[in-house]
Amino acid sequence: MQTVIKTEGLSKTYTNTAVPVHALRDVNLEFKQGEFTAIVGPSGSGKTTFLNVIGGLDKPTEGKVVIDDIDIATMKESKLFDFRMRHIGFVFQAYNLIPVLTAVENVSFIMLLQKRPKKEMEQRAKEMLEQVGLSDKLNTRPAQLSGGQQQRVAVARALASRPDFVLADEPTANLDTESAFNLLDIMARLNKEENITLIFSTHDQRVIDRAKRVITLVDGAVDKDEHFDRN
Amino acid sequence: MYTLIKISWRNIWRNRSRTLVITTALVLGIMGGIFSAAIRLAAEEQQFEDTIENLVSHIQIHHPEFIANPEAHYRIPDGKVVAEEISEQAGTAALSARLVMDGMAASANMNTGVRIKGIQKEAESQTTKLDQLLEEGTYFEEEWRLPSVIIGRQLAKDLMVETGSRIVLTFQDVDGEIVSSSFRVEALYTVTSRRFEERTVFVQADLLGELVGDTEAVTEIALLIEDADRYREVTDDLRSQYPDLEVRHWADMEPALYYSLEVLDQILIYLVGVIILGVSFGLLNTILMSILERVRELGILLSIGMKRLKVFSMVVMETTMIALIGGATGLTLSFIMIRILNQHGVNIPGGEGLEDFGFASVLYPDLPTSFYFEIGGVVILFAILASIYPAWKAIRLAPAEAVRAE
Repeated sequence: MQTVIKTEGLSKTYTNTAVPVHALRDVNLEFKQGEFTAIVGPSGSGKTTFLNVIGGLDKPTEGKVVIDDIDIATMKESKLFDFRMRHIGFVFQAYNLIPVLTAVENVSFIMLLQKRPKKEMEQRAKEMLEQVGLSDKLNTRPAQLSGGQQQRVAVARALASRPDFVLADEPTANLDTESAFNLLDIMARLNKEENITLIFSTHDQRVIDRAKRVITLVDGAVDKDEHFDRN
Repeated sequence: MYTLIKISWRNIWRNRSRTLVITTALVLGIMGGIFSAAIRLAAEEQQFEDTIENLVSHIQIHHPEFIANPEAHYRIPDGKVVAEEISEQAGTAALSARLVMDGMAASANMNTGVRIKGIQKEAESQTTKLDQLLEEGTYFEEEWRLPSVIIGRQLAKDLMVETGSRIVLTFQDVDGEIVSSSFRVEALYTVTSRRFEERTVFVQADLLGELVGDTEAVTEIALLIEDADRYREVTDDLRSQYPDLEVRHWADMEPALYYSLEVLDQILIYLVGVIILGVSFGLLNTILMSILERVRELGILLSIGMKRLKVFSMVVMETTMIALIGGATGLTLSFIMIRILNQHGVNIPGGEGLEDFGFASVLYPDLPTSFYFEIGGVVILFAILASIYPAWKAIRLAPAEAVRAE
């Protein structure tokens, strides 16, 4: 399988604190096309920092993040915006929709930034909302959706533009069990159908139990990297 | 761009009451600014029309001694020739050659000091529009046995006379001898300046010339120029042409009025400046608050790839939209307000006292249409300036931190 992301000697130290914080220490990982990976670990273990760095939201102190043979760690910020828009899908913990846009507008938003044709954009947005079971909520604004429905819209948005991979930072953290399972089912199905690489940071056992690969971070370093055969 | 406009538009209505409050502040600010400007312009126009153009004229020429001793003795040498020369010069709109002197006016009941102005009927109506200032009576049309005099409404009150009454004017002839003559009041004029009304009487110059012993006598040349703003330049030209004469422009003759107009200008600039600054800071505060409330959302926009320039544009657009709504409403309401006030007039508190200084007690404000567009432009400009700081704050957000903001 093709490597989508490769990190080499990735380290991140925060120096704007009283004592320097080593959030990542020499992380060397590879993620293949279509993998469904959970990054786990206790609070402060570096999960979010790792996602931010491989998602181009933050710069590493040392090391490389290679995506499509490009080291995004050295990329200029202006190019990173474009890179993120074209290659990476994001799902955040909560409230990650644009409140003034409807569900279908939210899902179309990244494609709009990519200047895709209007017809294609609308069709894809409707198709994705149908896939996450929200075809009856096309014109509903986030405030009228439940937490679980909002996260499903966020997943639809992240996948709609067919990115190389999707990063999700604790996507089920604020969901009840039923909504969490529902979301996980959808993500697992889309991972399989769309062959999109999904990487989660989580400490939610429900997510961990679904992941085919579980990477455990402790104090910013990779403690375990386990693969499971799950369908 | 359409989506950006759509998002900006919906964003400004997320907190409806806050947007309405700042929009109302903008509307009131614009209305206040325009009201002040309209009143100030009306006051200036009224003072110019009533005091300068209708009474004093832009420029006056006298014998140098006449200012201190306003007597027929101090005539302008070859006054009629000088008047003729000036009237033919380019830039002269109207000119009146007068025989002016101080004297006394007496009725059966009262007497008082007055300035007697001997005028050429036609020339004067073109220069000071005296014929249009008459409240009652006619403009030197009666053919009574006694010569006619036109006096101010206030002087008529002081002397307790009315049109048709007889009054006696006493003055010195060219040799300094006292001359008295009876006149019949043909008309009463009214002007804004009460002092002028009680101090100035008009008779026909030819007749007055006969009475003072020189029918060619001219003691005062008053002129209006075509471009009123060039009064200083024209005065300087005339001074160099007639170095032996005293040439004065309206600001020399009415320094109190000149300085009051200048002060009024300064006050207006400060007032409008304070209003615009106040409203701009209000707008800045509103947008800044809305940015601080949306840190997480802005972080998400930046994370998913919306470029900083677009985020910046979105914030500027939000501010501009509020300014456009407030501006358009404020300007429309101001336009209606000024139209209504123009019809009904604005009573100036304590205005009757101001009349002594040439200020009207009722003003009729009016503004050129271009002024509304200028104010609209200034409001939009300041709104854009006010949006720069919040927009800059928005684009300085670090996406990784912003998406985790509470």
